[in-house]
Amino acid sequence: MKKGLSILLLVFVLILAACSKDSGGSDKEQGEKPVEKSDSKTLVVGFGTDVTSFDIHNHNTTSTEAVHVNMFNYLVKNGGKEGFLPDLAESWENVDDTTWSFKLKEGVKFHNGEDLTADDVKFTLERVANDETLLEYGSYKQIKEVKVKSDYEFDIITHAPEPALLNRLSRIGSGILPKDYIESEGWDTFVNKPVGTGPYKFKDWKKDDRLTLEANNDYFGEAPKWEEVVFRSIPEDSTRVSELLTGGIDIAVNIPPTDVERIDATEGVTVKNSPTQRVMMLVLRTAEGNVTADPLVREAIDLAIDKQAIVDSLLGGAGEVTRTRVTPGNVGANESLFGTSLYDPEKAKELLAQAGYADGLTLTLSAPNGRYLKDKETAELMVAMLAEVGITVKLELLEWSAFNQKYTERTFNDMFFIGYGNSMFDASLALDRLQFERAKGETDYNNPETEKLLITAETNMNLDERVEQYKKAQEFIAEDRPQIYLYQLQAITGVNDRVDFEPRLDEMFYVDTITLK
Amino acid sequence: MKYFLLNVLKTIPVLLLITLIVFVLVRVTGDPVSMMLPETATDEERESLKEALGFNEPLPVQYMKYLGDLVKGDFGESFRYDMDALDLVLERLPATFQLAIASMIVAIIISVPLGILSAVKRNSFMDLFITGGAVLGKAMPSFWLGIMLILMFAVNLQLFPVSGKGGLMHLILPAITLGTGIAAEMTRLIRSSMLEILGQDFIRTARSKGLRESIVVNKHAFRNALIPVVTIMALQTSTLIGGTLITETVFAWPGLGQLLVQAVNLRDMSVVQAATLLIAVFVILSNLIADLIYRLLDPRIKYD
Amino acid sequence: MTTTLETSQSSLNRKKKGRFKSLFFRLLKSKTGFVGLIIVLAMTIMAILAPYLAMYDPAKTNIMSRLLPPFWLEGGTMEHPLGTDNLGRDVLSRIIYGSRISLLVGISAVILAGIIGMFFGLIAGYYGKLWDFIIMRTVDSFLAIPNILFMLIILAVLGPSVPTLILVLGGTSWVVYARMVRSETLSVKERDYVRSARAIGAKNFRIIAKYVLPNVISSFIVIATLNVASTIILEASLSFLGLGIQSPDVSWGLMLSDGREYLATSWWVATFPGIAITVTVLGVIFLGDWLRDVLDPKIKD
Repeated sequence: MKKGLSILLLVFVLILAACSKDSGGSDKEQGEKPVEKSDSKTLVVGFGTDVTSFDIHNHNTTSTEAVHVNMFNYLVKNGGKEGFLPDLAESWENVDDTTWSFKLKEGVKFHNGEDLTADDVKFTLERVANDETLLEYGSYKQIKEVKVKSDYEFDIITHAPEPALLNRLSRIGSGILPKDYIESEGWDTFVNKPVGTGPYKFKDWKKDDRLTLEANNDYFGEAPKWEEVVFRSIPEDSTRVSELLTGGIDIAVNIPPTDVERIDATEGVTVKNSPTQRVMMLVLRTAEGNVTADPLVREAIDLAIDKQAIVDSLLGGAGEVTRTRVTPGNVGANESLFGTSLYDPEKAKELLAQAGYADGLTLTLSAPNGRYLKDKETAELMVAMLAEVGITVKLELLEWSAFNQKYTERTFNDMFFIGYGNSMFDASLALDRLQFERAKGETDYNNPETEKLLITAETNMNLDERVEQYKKAQEFIAEDRPQIYLYQLQAITGVNDRVDFEPRLDEMFYVDTITLK
Repeated sequence: MKYFLLNVLKTIPVLLLITLIVFVLVRVTGDPVSMMLPETATDEERESLKEALGFNEPLPVQYMKYLGDLVKGDFGESFRYDMDALDLVLERLPATFQLAIASMIVAIIISVPLGILSAVKRNSFMDLFITGGAVLGKAMPSFWLGIMLILMFAVNLQLFPVSGKGGLMHLILPAITLGTGIAAEMTRLIRSSMLEILGQDFIRTARSKGLRESIVVNKHAFRNALIPVVTIMALQTSTLIGGTLITETVFAWPGLGQLLVQAVNLRDMSVVQAATLLIAVFVILSNLIADLIYRLLDPRIKYD
Repeated sequence: MTTTLETSQSSLNRKKKGRFKSLFFRLLKSKTGFVGLIIVLAMTIMAILAPYLAMYDPAKTNIMSRLLPPFWLEGGTMEHPLGTDNLGRDVLSRIIYGSRISLLVGISAVILAGIIGMFFGLIAGYYGKLWDFIIMRTVDSFLAIPNILFMLIILAVLGPSVPTLILVLGGTSWVVYARMVRSETLSVKERDYVRSARAIGAKNFRIIAKYVLPNVISSFIVIATLNVASTIILEASLSFLGLGIQSPDVSWGLMLSDGREYLATSWWVATFPGIAITVTVLGVIFLGDWLRDVLDPKIKD
């Protein structure tokens, strides 16, 4: 009997080892079987989450918007360096501090055949500007009203001068909706059978499984390139990678860095790294009563962390170190602070000694677990790095909703680890948390010089001067360190070789920029 | 029948308790508003959304309102999907049922022959192998088994699709993943149930009459051993549905399990409440039916 | 499940006599029970002596030696016999330390559940009537919600940590004990000697302590042992859903769940903690099965 038992255990261990070996292979041949190429006119994209809703004003997920951009059009498109480009609007003009006048393209039709007019714009924007239960309300409440002048002409009036209005109008919630369809059929019908103006129209949605779009052959722009586009939702990372490796999906987002090598070694699929708007950072309390109130301590923390090593080891290179949150591609970016970081553990020790902590000090760090790419591991690694210079860190790892609770209640102790995105591509959204009023209980940051720059820039209609103000503010912030910036996250995307795909900074999936090879 | 009705009546306080438990659990943390807004939202934005959604009212008031709505068949709205929570849950049921039934079939296919075999060949090497295997099946966390199956049979051998819902082929790997744990449990139970029956008088009588062993086992013993097994199967309903939470996440299966995991993570309270209540009703119902079948099949048990 | 067979007084006495006397002898006779005991003892010793057995601090990271394979593969060394994980932490040391929390959580949760379940089971069974109704309806409502879902909701609310995990695992699985204890109590209560004790006016507390508890305890131990196994697995599943043990604490479930990303590239990160869980659960179940055979032959499942 005993012998039988040990045989049983042995068999089990062998099976374990065998299947691990089969799937992993030795170091030399890490790849899988080559992925077969198909020339199907259906594009399949694998996301980690499902589209949340078709109520474009009541969600704030980038991945949902990434799908919506194929079904709806904005008034203007944010072209990055090229400035703003016409989309539904043919032309626009900033008439005075609070008035912007627009002219629509003529002959644009919704998927149900309805014509696009200025009434649709008024209906869409005033809804999100007035209904405070909508999740995007905060980004549109600056709009006072939309004045319709004719079928194709209208003015947008804002409550206060709004230099970033065009940024607001070219992001989540900016798609123009069909007024008549929604008013006659109701929102319930709309969210189940959404209608837009975009190159692809809604076909079918099986929640948490797949969303299927089909070509809109009456599109006002260039004709759609795909017959059908399928967005699949595959929450488990390893499953998504497996789908890519077997040709089940053409594009897989959020590839874990560990699998990069394996995918690269497999014939027929490649991995692409591309910058995103998310910057990971440590947020420190500068108020009296915390050890981090001492600027020397904050500097020592900054100098003790080897950001490049984190990027190289944990993220597999999928990040770019930075000393500012306003990264290239955003209005007001200070590029001299980007692509660089400080690391000098010796000097960090000296600074600590100067600050009176020659024997070391203890502080707390709170970090989320499972929210950002390798967040937990990064936090653990930073703790190890800080220990090297004599800073003992009590690490508090929290599951996202628990972290979020503390975050909104502002009950973190000395330091927390977070990643901020920026869907407005403007410095104002990136830096407004550092204004004195908003920083209370979080960083308590209070530098009168920075404060003045941030307050004036927010409503400054002289755009060049505004950019300079933001650039200057970022320099102060980099020196004062209420937030220690670590790196800009990059998106790791797996792509089947049958398609050409260039990931975008805004992480949108404009399907027609993806082509068959 | 009176007994059955009494049991049905007993479920009313149970259901009420469940609504209370879930309500307290889900709402006691405060509000889901912070989960709905991005990191960059301001305090005023949070506050105004909270007010607008009615989270500032006292908890007992919220609970009474919730109960009142329930009676009217209104389970609330899903924040995530912006639609009726009950509709959303009902929409997911078929996928989960499909997976659950397939897993049950897998479990039966594995456990019935193995359970009988190990009971008949009691204390043999075969018996040890099967009971040992059953323990292993129990000891393997299902997410790990699922990922392994994908790597082996979908990526390497490319026999099955990796994930998602589709034809029969899509069903096999998730059904094995979910069914293995249940099969392990059932194998053990069938074995002990068979052993008990095989030791009873009527089996000895049948044997002494000179009936072939296979007939004794199949006709006499197994039929009687089946009675507790039917009950056991029904009692596994709760485990089975619990297991879908993990299996559906691994295989991107669009059922209730995945919906629940994400609803809990995003604090989509109405969905969590609706789904939990529905699952509870389902579990209670299947236990009632199992109880009824058990009592009908086994005349030895009297109604109390 | 709630039906109990009438046990006659004489067989009860016979059972009592033979129960503990030949325990060790019987243990040697049952090979699986013996193996189970050895495994459980070994794991317990490992947990207690973890600081002396482990070569490294389980939380000590080293970027330079990430994902080293175990010693028998190319690139592996005896410095890290079972390799290192994605942060360069020694897998063997983590498994040794992980046994502490895995066992601590598994055993404490079961003890907690046992105490709660015993308490309410006794009250429901002994006092009956309204108490019985309230307690059993609560038990029913707990049973109607799948365990893992229940835990998921509570942990999402409370936030996962070792104490909350024990609390949640214990606080949701007490119902099994309550049911079992109640039905045992019901049958014991009706026996002649208990009836006569009540008739001569013995205090309830005394009756419970003297007559009811001893009769309940053996079934109780058996169920509790088997429950330790399922608790260890549940902890791993909760880690998969992101609500298990959190770093810097380390448990097998956490290692297995963290390592799942590396199954295809660095299999050792997840496989060894997986084996640790499997072997432990195997041992616990063998031990539990054997205890059942010895202590309480009438329980079948």
